[in-house]
Amino acid sequence: MKSTILKRFKKDRNYLLLLAPVLLYYILFKYVPMFGIVISFKDYNLFKGVWESEWVGLKYYEWFLRNPDAWNIIRNTLLLGLYRFLFLYPAPIILAVLFYLMRWKKYRRFVQTVSYMPFFMSQVVISSILIMLLSPSTGWINQMIQWVGFEPVYFLQKAEWFRTIYIASDVWQQVGFSTIIYLAALAAVDPQLYEAARMDGAGRWKQTLHVTLPGIVPAMVIVFILQLGGILELSFDKAFLLGNVATIETSDIVSTYVYRTGIIGGSYSYASAIDLSMALISLLLIYSANRVSRKVGETSLW
Amino acid sequence: MKRSKFSWAAVTLLTLVTVSCSKEAAETTPKPAGSAEPAATASAPSDLPEAATIKIYTENNTGWPAKEDWGVWKWVKEETNITVEQVLATGPESLALAVSSGSMPDIMSVFPEEVQKFGPQGAFLDLSQHMDKMPNVKKYLDSKPDVKERVTTPTGEILSIINDGAGEGNQAVWFYREDIFKKHNLQEPKTWDELYETAKKLKEIYPDSYPFAVRHGLNTLNYIGPSFGIYPELHRNPEDPTQMKFGMQDPAAKEMVGMLNKFVDEGLMPPDWLTMDYKAWTQFMTTNKSFITVQFIGQIEIMNNQLTEGNLKFMPPPLGAGTKGYLPKGGAEIYGLAVASTTENLDASLRYLDYIFSEKGRDVQSWGKEGETYTLVDGKRKFNENYKEASDLRVISGIQTAGTYGWFDFDAWMALVKESEQPPYIEAPKYRMPVAGDLPMLTAEEGATIGPANDQIWKYWTTETTKFIFGDRPMTEWEDFVKGLDKYEVEKIKAAYQTALDRQIANAK
Repeated sequence: MKSTILKRFKKDRNYLLLLAPVLLYYILFKYVPMFGIVISFKDYNLFKGVWESEWVGLKYYEWFLRNPDAWNIIRNTLLLGLYRFLFLYPAPIILAVLFYLMRWKKYRRFVQTVSYMPFFMSQVVISSILIMLLSPSTGWINQMIQWVGFEPVYFLQKAEWFRTIYIASDVWQQVGFSTIIYLAALAAVDPQLYEAARMDGAGRWKQTLHVTLPGIVPAMVIVFILQLGGILELSFDKAFLLGNVATIETSDIVSTYVYRTGIIGGSYSYASAIDLSMALISLLLIYSANRVSRKVGETSLW
Repeated sequence: MKRSKFSWAAVTLLTLVTVSCSKEAAETTPKPAGSAEPAATASAPSDLPEAATIKIYTENNTGWPAKEDWGVWKWVKEETNITVEQVLATGPESLALAVSSGSMPDIMSVFPEEVQKFGPQGAFLDLSQHMDKMPNVKKYLDSKPDVKERVTTPTGEILSIINDGAGEGNQAVWFYREDIFKKHNLQEPKTWDELYETAKKLKEIYPDSYPFAVRHGLNTLNYIGPSFGIYPELHRNPEDPTQMKFGMQDPAAKEMVGMLNKFVDEGLMPPDWLTMDYKAWTQFMTTNKSFITVQFIGQIEIMNNQLTEGNLKFMPPPLGAGTKGYLPKGGAEIYGLAVASTTENLDASLRYLDYIFSEKGRDVQSWGKEGETYTLVDGKRKFNENYKEASDLRVISGIQTAGTYGWFDFDAWMALVKESEQPPYIEAPKYRMPVAGDLPMLTAEEGATIGPANDQIWKYWTTETTKFIFGDRPMTEWEDFVKGLDKYEVEKIKAAYQTALDRQIANAK
């Protein structure tokens, strides 16, 4: 047995060598920092270091649960993540199919390129653009609203608008780039299937419904699971930059709260306790999604 | 094969040569004109201490962007032989990141709440142990018992030294457009009711104006609160300075918030007052869109210089509640300097502190040097022509910016304030609230009992107050809001600071 492992090592040593940098990356940047979660069970003092700091058990987890705002923060995070998922997941599928159906190739390529652009802009730039566009006194959007004869809307000072703005801009930012994976999947659909469908008298719509969409189901499922795991991975930058005290009721999510208490407030232990709790919820989500997908279809992540 | 190896070597060699050349070139680049080579060789004392380099962490203010060739740093070098590398804050989290990364700059500009936060963790050096090396600092603290009281922790440590001297500029005041008021025969409002009536009249005359403008978002409540006799958060009771109170629990807070609600509702304040910054505020003030404001004292002159017509004038704070309308208690500085506990340049850091708190250092860091920044005219110092207004001292030479001085000579600043702009500096102190908004220092244990409650209650009162002001929550629910403060442990927080205050008073006796 031992020798067979050694033999296989020897046989695949070139591949293993290729794998090494990636492995190293994960160990250094993803696994080693995980030991940091130990400070959520300690009264972490920066200058005493991790080992010298005192154990305090679940004190900081209790703090979070006792916080009258805890539920509000968790709710904001879950809702924002869920809505974002609901809109961000189907949007690229629709766009990719539309691209695929587009016959005028030059125009299609142009639109595709333009739709990729926002993805490469930083959140800070996007947020500044949004703040300018949405300003009640000087923003274009409000000027248009006023031309049509309505009162200007103070988008960024109304808690009920925060999620809409956050998600709408996220869709605009991501949708183009996310079509890539579906376009690749679409390219792999066997053209014979379309020919067969046409023989049977299927129009464009029927072809889309019965050939195109089923052809990309595996890609859809994988993206579904991957995105479900990332539901709580909301961009801190945008929530932080677009939120203010007027919208804090909906804009305060776990990451902004962790920033305030952990970085600004200097309670590192407390902040890591909150973050770890959210990571556990995230893990639960992706695990159950994978279970369901394995039961229902054949595709799953593991 | 051999050939390629040779060419590789050549390329490497070439690169090396270029790099070292460009480095040399950079080092010998002539200094920009105006920053003439230090005349130190002639005038500097020959017994300069050993050369050293320290890093100083300071604010990053867009009003006076930091420059490497600022005079203040050059003078430090001439006087102490210390080269200063300025490290700039990039955001509110900069200090926290510096502290947690373990590579702190040697000296840091800090606010008292930052000392409270990171001090107990051991981030800052206990300077009381090093007073023998800083005789000038010791002398300074002994001559300023109020500063000493503010920097001494419950356990007798001194983790930072709060600056002094430039506090006069740190005073928010009320001012208005005198010409517009005269033109329409309006009087200086004495009370908030009059302020409201005046603003309404102005709005009628200038329908697209917002007569009253502020620029610090919700923080503005710290500046207008005193006209109602309160600060919004925790502070000493002005009627009985031995007691702590939470401003929002005072009935006067309801008056204040109700008033602001009326102002916003009727368009007497800009709709985006919460997010307005300095630029937006300047625009409102200089384009006849706003006529009354609360702002730092130096801004009266700066705005007057920008106004093409008309002028701004100081006014006493209008009375909102109680018997006297106050201004916040300015006149004291809040910024201080701390030394990193991990510093490797301990001697140089202490030497720097000792220098800026010395008589000589005070003079040089406030005025600059004769011939370079000022000349003597009839025995009186006169700044050179290129300093047109007081804030030019900051922009051009870095004078009176964070970290560059310890004990400022405010006469230097006033020397550039026009005579016509000086009255506010005499008037404002008459209206100062008896207490400031700063808090007594907690012990580590007291800090631990409060835990995250400070942030929680901050979030609660700011959110709800904003809603009241914008009219998203009716003022009739104010009492519910005040009751809600209990849920956020307002009494526990108050009690912790009361204990700290009692101790501070007892220690001062």
